[in-house]
Amino acid sequence: MLRATLLVLLLALASPARADDSADFGERLAACAACHGQHGEGVRGAEYYPHLAGKPAGYLFEQLKGFRDGRRASTSMTWYVRFADDAFLQRIAQWYAELPPRTRGADTGAAELTAERRRVAQNLVEHGDPARDLPACSSCHGANLAGLEPGVPALLGLPADYVIAQFGAWREGVRNGAPPDCMHDIAGRIAADDMRAIAVYLSQQSNVDGLRPAPAASFLPPRACGSLPHAQVAK
Amino acid sequence: MKTWRIAGLVAVPFVLAALAIGIFLFAQQGGLAPYRLPVDDGRVVAGDAATLRRGEYLARIGDCAACHTARGGAAYAGGRGFATGRGVIYSSNLTPDREHGIGAWSIAEFAHAMRHGVSRRGPLYPVFPYEYFATLADADIDAIYAYLRSLPASANVPPPNRLDFPANLRPALVLWRMLHYRPAPAAATDDNRGRYLVDGLGHCAMCHSEREPGGALASGGHLAGGRIPGSGWYAPPLDAKQLQRYPVEQLAAYLRSGTSDHGAAYGPMAEVVYRSLQALREDDAIAIARYLKSIPARRAREAAFTLLPEPQRQPEVAGDGAEIYRHACADCHGNDGEGKSGRYPALRDAVAAIAPDPINAVRMVLYGGFAVTTAGNPAPYSMPPFVQQLSSAQIAAVTNYVRENFGAQRSRLTAADIEAMHGIVLD
Repeated sequence: MLRATLLVLLLALASPARADDSADFGERLAACAACHGQHGEGVRGAEYYPHLAGKPAGYLFEQLKGFRDGRRASTSMTWYVRFADDAFLQRIAQWYAELPPRTRGADTGAAELTAERRRVAQNLVEHGDPARDLPACSSCHGANLAGLEPGVPALLGLPADYVIAQFGAWREGVRNGAPPDCMHDIAGRIAADDMRAIAVYLSQQSNVDGLRPAPAASFLPPRACGSLPHAQVAK
Repeated sequence: MKTWRIAGLVAVPFVLAALAIGIFLFAQQGGLAPYRLPVDDGRVVAGDAATLRRGEYLARIGDCAACHTARGGAAYAGGRGFATGRGVIYSSNLTPDREHGIGAWSIAEFAHAMRHGVSRRGPLYPVFPYEYFATLADADIDAIYAYLRSLPASANVPPPNRLDFPANLRPALVLWRMLHYRPAPAAATDDNRGRYLVDGLGHCAMCHSEREPGGALASGGHLAGGRIPGSGWYAPPLDAKQLQRYPVEQLAAYLRSGTSDHGAAYGPMAEVVYRSLQALREDDAIAIARYLKSIPARRAREAAFTLLPEPQRQPEVAGDGAEIYRHACADCHGNDGEGKSGRYPALRDAVAAIAPDPINAVRMVLYGGFAVTTAGNPAPYSMPPFVQQLSSAQIAAVTNYVRENFGAQRSRLTAADIEAMHGIVLD
């Protein structure tokens, strides 16, 4: 109980209301907009970079720190955030989190799956594979794949190449989440052709209703991952 | 037999001359004294709170942690790699671990390494700026030592250096010192605080001086500006002329905040501000600014700069720089390069515009960047990258336009120059 209260207090402190200059704040992020879009919605024709709008602030903050401190690898992302302190990164994360989520699917990667591969992908996304001890994507990212506050991002409409690259990075330890790093474990259990099928399937899902991530602790993921602090609190 | 004897006789003067030159150069770098490690005289440095605070401040403004900390690693535990013309050197562990750090070093040994660049490991590579630390006051070295001793010990072992022959042999450093190292005169108390910080602890000249092709500091090039070895950035001269557009207070504020209406710190200077200078006390920042603005300007250098060795020069029309500037740059930097106060720096007379070396301007247009976050600039503005939006010819054209119109530099970059930059390391 005490830990839960502390967490709520910390979250409240970490996201100060800065409505006064929030419109102006986006102007500072011109460097981000070049790849991620003026409003974090992604850029047409730049089909590697993920959109950022509407993702949980806690998730975005962790990724920004990861690029700065070496838990994620991207030469250009590291270039932009390497001399940014936590407070500024928190504001960037908050700014993108509050923007309306992108509603369309990825611009490329459509219609590249046979009906059979598509069925396999959808089955893995929705049900996982108990034989491989592989949880369903939806068990953590939400039945609607819109994510879960504060640490689990939506999977809708991400560029397929981006998702494939993340699977590879998790598997090889180039992208590292807080331990226990569930995605490292999961990526190690997915066959390469299934990764591709899942990535293409996800890229075709669009968030037409503009769904936001589910509120924290509104459902309980099956594993106590480091990126799911509330799940650890619930234990 | 006879020819051998004659040859021997002829060789004698040459051997003697070489020996004499060797002895002379060896004496010039300080003779044997630097290689005699002091014995521990048992002196104990007080570790009271005031000394530790002072040591922490000095270590911070000397930027020790920046070099002696690997990315994501424990502070001061070493392991950051430095690309030099002769391979990669990794910084050492300064934490009090007795085996892997400097926990077993006496204050006498620490002071000797700081001032003479020789430790129990042998001569130190000149990426360690001992040449500048030689002027540090005893009390300051004591405080830094006490502070380092108060850190948590880390058993981190930095990776072994990866250097080419003969730089991989420590004794070869004696030869390097004979050629390039001239010890500073015995530390005199310097009543000019700014000079003490700039030419001593701050070791600003490591980046802001001219270098010989071999990497040694050029004689007469102290703070005269130049390409920073191993980094692909140009550091501007630091003198009265270069800094005339900054009033003292504004220059001091720039050092602590990393930004000003005349430009933000980027590249290696961004790191120096972020890790070190933002901690400067205001009086120290003012002292540094005063000293820098008192340095007489050096002769303008003649050397032609090239972005990278041997760029393919081809005559071509690069495009209409003025037109590209109006579309891509003027919104933020103004039609006349005047900038927007508090948001976007002026380009008129900016370092990137007036520098003889165009590399900073090209890098900024290609890749953009964020100013650093500091107390004085907690939510910095950013420059977008144009590498995806403009062609190499357009980037060449707009860079030429900026440098010719706002920096009075004759700038003739071509698309091939810009393409040669695409592989450059982003750091």
